[in-house]
Amino acid sequence: MEIIAAYGTIFIVLAVIFGLFMTWGVGANDLANAMGTSVGAGAVSVKQAIGIAIVFEFAGAVLAGGNVTKTIRKGIIDPTAIISSPEILVYGMLAALLAAAVWLMVASSRGWPVSTTHSIVGALIGFAIVGIGPDAVNWGKVGKIVASWVVSPLIGGTISFLLVMSTRKLIFNTDNPLKNAKKYAPFYIFLVGFVISLVTLFKGLKHLHIDLTALQSFGLAVLIGLLTSAVGCYFIRNVKEDPEADRDFHFASVEKVFTPMMLFTACSMAFAHGSNDVANGIGPLAAVISIVTSGGEVMQSSEMPIWILVVGGTGIVVGLVTLGYKVMLTVGTKITELTPSRGFCAELAAASTVVLASRTGLPVSTTHILVGSVLGVGLARGIGALDLRVVMNIIISWIVTLPAGAVMAMVFFFFLKGVFG
Amino acid sequence: MVAMSTNPLAGLLRKSPFKPIQEHMRKVFSCVMLLPALFDALYRNDQDEVKDLAGQIGKLETEADRIKSRYRHNMPKTLLLPVDRKDLLSLIHEQDSISDGVEKISQILTNRDMTVPEAIKDGLDELLEGTMEISSQAKTMIEELDELVHVGFSGREHDKVTNMIVGVRRSEHNIDKILKKVNRTLFSIEKELDPVTIIFWYKIIEEVGNISDHAENMADRLLLFLSK
Repeated sequence: MEIIAAYGTIFIVLAVIFGLFMTWGVGANDLANAMGTSVGAGAVSVKQAIGIAIVFEFAGAVLAGGNVTKTIRKGIIDPTAIISSPEILVYGMLAALLAAAVWLMVASSRGWPVSTTHSIVGALIGFAIVGIGPDAVNWGKVGKIVASWVVSPLIGGTISFLLVMSTRKLIFNTDNPLKNAKKYAPFYIFLVGFVISLVTLFKGLKHLHIDLTALQSFGLAVLIGLLTSAVGCYFIRNVKEDPEADRDFHFASVEKVFTPMMLFTACSMAFAHGSNDVANGIGPLAAVISIVTSGGEVMQSSEMPIWILVVGGTGIVVGLVTLGYKVMLTVGTKITELTPSRGFCAELAAASTVVLASRTGLPVSTTHILVGSVLGVGLARGIGALDLRVVMNIIISWIVTLPAGAVMAMVFFFFLKGVFG
Repeated sequence: MVAMSTNPLAGLLRKSPFKPIQEHMRKVFSCVMLLPALFDALYRNDQDEVKDLAGQIGKLETEADRIKSRYRHNMPKTLLLPVDRKDLLSLIHEQDSISDGVEKISQILTNRDMTVPEAIKDGLDELLEGTMEISSQAKTMIEELDELVHVGFSGREHDKVTNMIVGVRRSEHNIDKILKKVNRTLFSIEKELDPVTIIFWYKIIEEVGNISDHAENMADRLLLFLSK
């Protein structure tokens, strides 16, 4: 307890710095990946993407992110054994943050497709094993989380596969694809607003003291869906047949209908990302803050102060502005192979899967789910060529990231313990 | 760990394998399109023009070759493609054989000073016309590849391309008949010509005939895409 009292401010400052470092990495890499598809399709400019990211990242974190933050904060580690020495948990959370951020930086400078989520989970486990003891790790929960890393890209892939098939049946494989595209586009845009808001609303706003019944949630989701759909109709109303472009590629005009639609999936991706990935940085940060402000209470469950969210959001936006736009441009140029209609399907599938996972409190990887969704489009024979080496790399990164994050967290933990006593 | 120079999404998406096939086919088609002019120059005994056209054909053939080898080097086995990788590679191989054939013909005509026997002129013209037709059909078929990928090789595009394939096969059948006729005519005048010249005329006619065979093989490859 004395240590907390003596170094409280330093701990908070360190936690904020490490938290900013971590969320900066998330913004530079992860979010840029998530939004690059829409940038590449020409639906939004990089500046607009950053604007969308700021709004929807926060919205996602506040409205749908609570459960994941809770998991990161106290779902993986059981600190009952160290109630008498709360500084251990503070060191651990700081070490985990730093370890995940450093590993993320090392990995992305090498171009390894590691996930921020996996890094932080690995780091938390690593700290818990040496700091508290192997029994302190909630292995059942960890097992569920690891399983979700395999299952979530599969779900994303399945949804995108079905979406691509539906666009073929309803739009591309018909006598008048352009007419049908304009006819069904409002329905697809409705889906974006409806699915995302339904998953978010369904018994999900308790932390904001908004208690909706199932029927109310459903009604509100329909309303939001209709609203997005109306905005979408406004954007696509002026899409005309372009005989010049159609000569090269018969579906060029049809694809033009899908381009503005990717604006909505960009928003939903930012929202989904906010609901899941913001937690990686602010979960441990929130844990440190709550221990210090309560004067060493490990088990308390106070509400998370809103300024922590602001710190997390700021880190992400700064990451996006400083480095992320480059990643967006890289993804953007590569993604031309993904036409707007396929990009739309992949993003809608990925965003829905991520938000669904967030609701159940599972920290998943947005990037990996997006990769799964793109593979789903590929399996529908909808993409020229996908390099499966990436899948292999992702699987290797799963196997490497957990121990790497864990070992680094152990080292940082002992270092901090040595410094502060 | 295999180092990736870019991030996972950028690494995942590769350039379409159908675009280079189309680009290659356009080169091959430009090559074939020079054949009538080449024979026209030969009819006029304009050796300079023949040499000039042969030069152009050689250049186009080299460009096509370059596209083909670049293509082959960029097709690792780890790719997830909407069609069989082997079928794609043999498709571009068949296309390449067409420009190879055109180049061989132009080389014979520049290596030897050949005069066209009056008796086979009509048949030769007919044969060339048929070859132009089947090459153009083959090219149109290849230009549909983007659209086919877009609809997952099914539905209306599938039927459209199937009809094109049927068209190519019909043309090939016609060309076979013309070939037989021209070869019979050549046989009937064998005695009047120098034996070496006769052999080379048979060779030239065979090479022209091969173009339609390769076009038909292309159609067969495409059919495999559709039936996967």
